[in-house]
Amino acid sequence: MPFGYHGSYLRIDLSSGAAERVPLADTVLRQFIGGSGLGVKLLLDEGAALLDPLSPAAPLVFAFSPLVGSPLTTSAKFAVVSKSPLTERINDSLASSGFAIAGKGCGCDAMMIVGRAPEFSVLIVDETGVRLESATEYRGATCGATEGGLKARLGAHYRVASIGPAAENNVRYSTISHDGRHAGRGGSGAVLGAKNIKAIAISGTQRTDWAHPGELTALSKALSKKSFGPATAKYRELGTATNLLTFNRFGTLPTRNFQSGTFEEAVNLSPEQLGAVRSKTRKSCMACTIGCEHIYSNGDSSVRVEYESLFALGSLCGIGDADAVLRASQRCDELGIDTISTGGTIAFAMECVERGWLDEPWLKFGSSAALLRAIEMIGAREGLGNLLAEGSRRAALAIGHNSIAIAPQVKGLEIPGYEPRALQTMALGFAVGARGADHNRSGAYEVDFSDKVDRRHVTLDAVRHAIETEDKAALMDSLIVCKFLRGVFEDFHAETAEMLHYVTGWDVTADELRQTARRIVAAKRQFNLLAGWTQTEDTLPERFLNTPLSSDPEAVLSHQRLDELVTEYHRQRGW
Amino acid sequence: MYVEFLAVPRRLTGTSQVEVQAESLGQLLTTLAAQFPSLGQFITLDRLDPAFIASLNGDQFVSDPRTVLGENDHVLILSADAGG
Repeated sequence: MPFGYHGSYLRIDLSSGAAERVPLADTVLRQFIGGSGLGVKLLLDEGAALLDPLSPAAPLVFAFSPLVGSPLTTSAKFAVVSKSPLTERINDSLASSGFAIAGKGCGCDAMMIVGRAPEFSVLIVDETGVRLESATEYRGATCGATEGGLKARLGAHYRVASIGPAAENNVRYSTISHDGRHAGRGGSGAVLGAKNIKAIAISGTQRTDWAHPGELTALSKALSKKSFGPATAKYRELGTATNLLTFNRFGTLPTRNFQSGTFEEAVNLSPEQLGAVRSKTRKSCMACTIGCEHIYSNGDSSVRVEYESLFALGSLCGIGDADAVLRASQRCDELGIDTISTGGTIAFAMECVERGWLDEPWLKFGSSAALLRAIEMIGAREGLGNLLAEGSRRAALAIGHNSIAIAPQVKGLEIPGYEPRALQTMALGFAVGARGADHNRSGAYEVDFSDKVDRRHVTLDAVRHAIETEDKAALMDSLIVCKFLRGVFEDFHAETAEMLHYVTGWDVTADELRQTARRIVAAKRQFNLLAGWTQTEDTLPERFLNTPLSSDPEAVLSHQRLDELVTEYHRQRGW
Repeated sequence: MYVEFLAVPRRLTGTSQVEVQAESLGQLLTTLAAQFPSLGQFITLDRLDPAFIASLNGDQFVSDPRTVLGENDHVLILSADAGG
């Protein structure tokens, strides 16, 4: 067994109460590393692609990595991997902090959960073994209240991942929360909720040895030092929210359900403005030196502010009232729902109302009250919320009027805050993404914001760049290190190979890691193929094709151009 | 011409926009380095640190210091990592 691993995963069957340690072959670990890669491999072996993701048999994997527990900055991360109830395709969501360290401390490289608990339960994994305890007292509780309550009940050393009320109600884009962060996209919360599990509480202190501890410590110190430099200054000093004004300036800020790329009230939501009138604190995930979380006061409470939440609940819904957007973001966190899918689905419904396709006259662009009301209805699946809890794709199919053309999603996953017509390498990244439209699985926007392409008139040359960013993301999600570190590496593959060598002892090279990344991307595609994927899914909604962006007539993406990009992508992938 | 600062460059310079005379990107950056030492620490000779990037009129991203600038051009300086 290589250093940095325990060499097994813990398979827990909630129906029978059985738990077993299943050995992991060295070759599997080297081929898929950990995190997303290992999670996808375990799902393929379990036959998960063919299962209903909300059925008892469907597995949910929490995958750690060889770097977890090491002194490397940002390495305290874990991946939650399953078939998505929102997209019916592969879903891998990542979150950070002590759950990763405690989970690996339980003496395993991953936990796979199958079956369904006989009662609404907390799953506890600690030095005494695996057991279920009643979660009745936490029914309907927010993620934060559940986590706090369980730590008080079990001990402060337990690390807790929990679902909010929305996942209990099977909202298809509900999250799994830990320490205020969320494995947010694709509905992994609904998968856990369908297993009758409110939370997982873990405590473990088993450590793995490192192959070259001296060199690893030196490398970790150097990496931490670099993480204080200019490459991460944006995250440290302003947070991701600073994208808002930049994107607005470039006409790439999705507004009113992607009807425009600029928002006249963007400045109200910018961190520059928020910081001028509110107190602010910063927070870091465990084992992170960047500290990207910027937390603003909002009345008597405080709210973590991220660009994606501001865009989805702000400009996308036409809302420039900062108090309302922060409150909406906070409610999404408390209910345990993905802010991007929430905002995307509500904005879609607002446009349907505007077009007369949906008879809900209160649901108007720009209405803060409507936004907050809709969020509550989604969390409870009440009234219109029952439809919107299904996500924009399913809602469009129910509403009719060819509203699917304006549903802001790919493969059912709502599009994050990057206007595809004005960022066309990203448009390709969205179209081909295995888990749907997502900025964390394709960093192609980086290419658009560079001198490598003309972002509004991309050529087939953009394809190789898009592939590079997708491969890099797959590797970062499997090692696992935070993507906010990506700017500090001068030679990403060589430096991460060195990192992995010091941890595991493997004589791994940069070229091997490039192959590993491709293998992981291919494994996700294999999962999707088994789940019924066809190439017709690799596209964008009609709204984005052939019609110019109203705020920027030069931003046009033809159907033919996107088809050519997708075809070339498949050719270069060898698929 | 006008130079607009976004994100970290705006924080470093403490302003959103200045007017500068320059005939090339390199000349512009040299002038900005002298005018704003806090930003200047991230300008080596006539090039921006890789953590920052320049855009010409919001249309095209430019890095070659020989890039010719016209009187009516509008240059934006921003953090290179625009994602999140």
